[in-house]
Amino acid sequence: MDNTAYRYYDVRRVRGEATHIDIDNTRIELAGSVFYDTALIRVLGEFGWGVLSLDGEMVGDIATREKLPLELIQKALHAAKLTNERIEISETASGMRAIPAMKEDPRASSLEEKAETLLDIEKHAKKDEIVSTRLGYIEKTEQISFASSHGDEYEYELVRSGFSVMAVSRRGSLSQMGYNREHTISGIQLRTKHHLAAEAADRAVKLLDAKPAKGGKMKAILDPELAGVFAHEAVGHAAEGDLVKEGSSVLENYIGKKIGPKELTVIDDPTLEQFGFCPVDDEGTKTECTEIISHGVMHAYLHSKETLAADIGYGIAGHSRGMPGDVPIVRMSNTFIAPGECSYDELIESCRDGILLIGSRGGQVDPGRGIFQFNAEYGYLIENGEVGQMVRDVSLSGEILTTLHAITHIGDDLTFSAGFCGKSGQSVPVSDGSPHILLSDAIVGGSDV
Amino acid sequence: MAGSFDFDYHAAAEVVEAILKKAAPLVDEAEVYLGISESLSADLKRDKISIGSNSSGSAVSIRVIKDGKIGVSSTDSTMFWEKCLSAAISSAHLSDTQPWGGLPSGTHEKEGNLSFDSSLTPDSALLGDLIDRMRSGAESEPGAVITGGGASFSSRYSVLANTNGLYNTNKSTTASIMLEAIADQSTGYESDSQYQLSALDPERVGETAAWFCVHGQNGEEVKTGSYDIVLAPEAFSSLLEATLIPALSGRSVHMNRSVFVGKMNEMVAPEQLSLYDHGMDTRSIFRCPWDGEGTSISHLPLIEKGKLVSYYYDLKSAYLFGEKTTGNAVRYGANSLSSGLHNVVFEGPTMDVMDEKCIYARDVVGAHTANPMTGDFSVELSSPFFAEGGALQRPIKTAMLSGNVFDMLHALVGCSKESRIFPRMIIPSVRCAGMSVIGRG
Repeated sequence: MDNTAYRYYDVRRVRGEATHIDIDNTRIELAGSVFYDTALIRVLGEFGWGVLSLDGEMVGDIATREKLPLELIQKALHAAKLTNERIEISETASGMRAIPAMKEDPRASSLEEKAETLLDIEKHAKKDEIVSTRLGYIEKTEQISFASSHGDEYEYELVRSGFSVMAVSRRGSLSQMGYNREHTISGIQLRTKHHLAAEAADRAVKLLDAKPAKGGKMKAILDPELAGVFAHEAVGHAAEGDLVKEGSSVLENYIGKKIGPKELTVIDDPTLEQFGFCPVDDEGTKTECTEIISHGVMHAYLHSKETLAADIGYGIAGHSRGMPGDVPIVRMSNTFIAPGECSYDELIESCRDGILLIGSRGGQVDPGRGIFQFNAEYGYLIENGEVGQMVRDVSLSGEILTTLHAITHIGDDLTFSAGFCGKSGQSVPVSDGSPHILLSDAIVGGSDV
Repeated sequence: MAGSFDFDYHAAAEVVEAILKKAAPLVDEAEVYLGISESLSADLKRDKISIGSNSSGSAVSIRVIKDGKIGVSSTDSTMFWEKCLSAAISSAHLSDTQPWGGLPSGTHEKEGNLSFDSSLTPDSALLGDLIDRMRSGAESEPGAVITGGGASFSSRYSVLANTNGLYNTNKSTTASIMLEAIADQSTGYESDSQYQLSALDPERVGETAAWFCVHGQNGEEVKTGSYDIVLAPEAFSSLLEATLIPALSGRSVHMNRSVFVGKMNEMVAPEQLSLYDHGMDTRSIFRCPWDGEGTSISHLPLIEKGKLVSYYYDLKSAYLFGEKTTGNAVRYGANSLSSGLHNVVFEGPTMDVMDEKCIYARDVVGAHTANPMTGDFSVELSSPFFAEGGALQRPIKTAMLSGNVFDMLHALVGCSKESRIFPRMIIPSVRCAGMSVIGRG
């Protein structure tokens, strides 16, 4: 084969084992493991990418192999013949960051011990008016090996573990739900999580007395979890270089423009020891922090090798991630609003009359239209500068650009929450963070209008 | 790139046989699902193909039952089958005992193959042609800029077998296309997925994506208030999937996580509405005569003329709660076996849903954030329009819809005569009266 037929190739093999435990109303419903070994080869042909997804064993030991088997490169090149867009890529910085040491290796305890601990935790959710409880545990160990024709080679192992608890309350025909979760790369310490079950149950019971929220335009304080989702959904996705390149982002051509108050800085930092930590990205680029919005000004997009070369606006590569066996695409990692100077009490006082939104049931964005929507788990009315009646089923939607300008106060209490982000059918671990923030003129959803 | 999708059926059979042979003396019953698949796809970025992908994969899922304890494990590599079997047996040791009445039995090999098109091949020229035709459809609306999309062909072969003699095989094919377009800040998308290549309509996909983005420009704001809403099948199905469908799960009901607890044989919707699961409906895109455990599937009324008449169960949940399986074990990928619906069909009184003044929404943003326990939701509308006289009249810039899905069924005044056929649903457009809309006007 003529080696000049490809301009670049890389191969990523992921071997992994995921362990799940599902406790449903004091029954161990499931306690099992999933094993996987998958590889993805990308080859840049005359025009675009040729991609081959296959069993990991077929690429062998990447670390000891000088080159990929030509047969596999040819297969990927064959797929590249479908393409008609000339893709260029940038050479990017190499290097892998050290994997943070775990505080406690969750693999050290047996499946039986974890199941027993979960059953013990579940007891803390059993309260009056709680009619159903469910707990889940996941522990995933992955060995990732990577090599590219640029000479980059990496191998590392990362363990992610997490826990969730749900409690359902009922009074007559009314049901409500309380939920808590925690995911980490530091090794989850299950035996210290009993309080999360108690909190979920307490909240489910309190929500039975909460009023449905009244929808409309109002001042809203977002707690760190929900404000983190806002940073992720409203800012992070629209700053992804691939969406900008495709013309699917409302933030296209916004580099250097003022898009929020000068107190607002939004960052994506894959180097942080949070759930979205990446020691190196999935196309072999060294990971670095990117300030997406710096002091109210759109500063940078998140890039891959391809979007960096496309010259669509400032930013750095190192933000490319893929699920095992899937093509890496531009993704966030740990996305957060940098802390400001307001205390929580000052925020409540500044709001005077509005709503405090707490927790997240997830969100979604249409980055091309610039519209986002997300749901809080619950909230409280704020009346005369005091936190008042609890409300349920409250959500927030809005236009990205309008809402960024509507941020009037940023708190000083930055907190991260871990979760998963879906894009193009791929789900990757991320964390979102923020202090409390105050929005003027927020569009709050509630069934009572 | 042509040829055909070709699998090593013999090797697959050998792995299945080896697993069952090794498992049989160790457990009371064992079940193996083995799937192998291949696909070829092309991804559009803007209006050019930037990625060509060729993928092959396999999956093995093993379930064992020993003394009423169920163990599971799965892998994406047939090489790990022994490790996987060992993990499934360990898993059974740890799980709690439950009543168990046995896996389905069989006496001879059965073939499904109802959604298989032998003429679908990994032909790159055909993929390119589909993309050209989508682009051509999009050109019918000047001003639409394609931002992404793609086309893919895939084929899958699966074996479902157990130690009770069940041995079912199924071949299936899927041809999918999708296009996204934008005009200023107005977006549009459309997709189509069929098992037969000839059933795809790429020009319509291109035209629809382009129509919504071009005609959605310069939308006006709507005032907060109460409106009659028409939800297109895309929008209505998203809300049903997030709320009503999980609430009909037997497990959810028995575990007190459903609004339908204690509601069997009660009216839960107006008398004209029915919802059933019909995986063998001839209109359904993907059909298989059995569920994920090998139980034959049948027409299952869930809500009949407004009355709740059944929940859905797989074997595990049916045995646990003293019920009979309704043939509703589903495998979303080989790693997950759970109870679910095969092909949801929603029926109600038909009418011209857009004759009278209303707000139309093609889809909703954030349906998954609805409260599954109560059915309460607040979603942003996608491609909203003011509609009247049977047509979309003026685009709306932004609007949020809030309500409760179960209450919304009672506010439903009619369904369109035509239903949209999705891969797992057949759903009409619905008109609901007096819904809460939060606007910025």
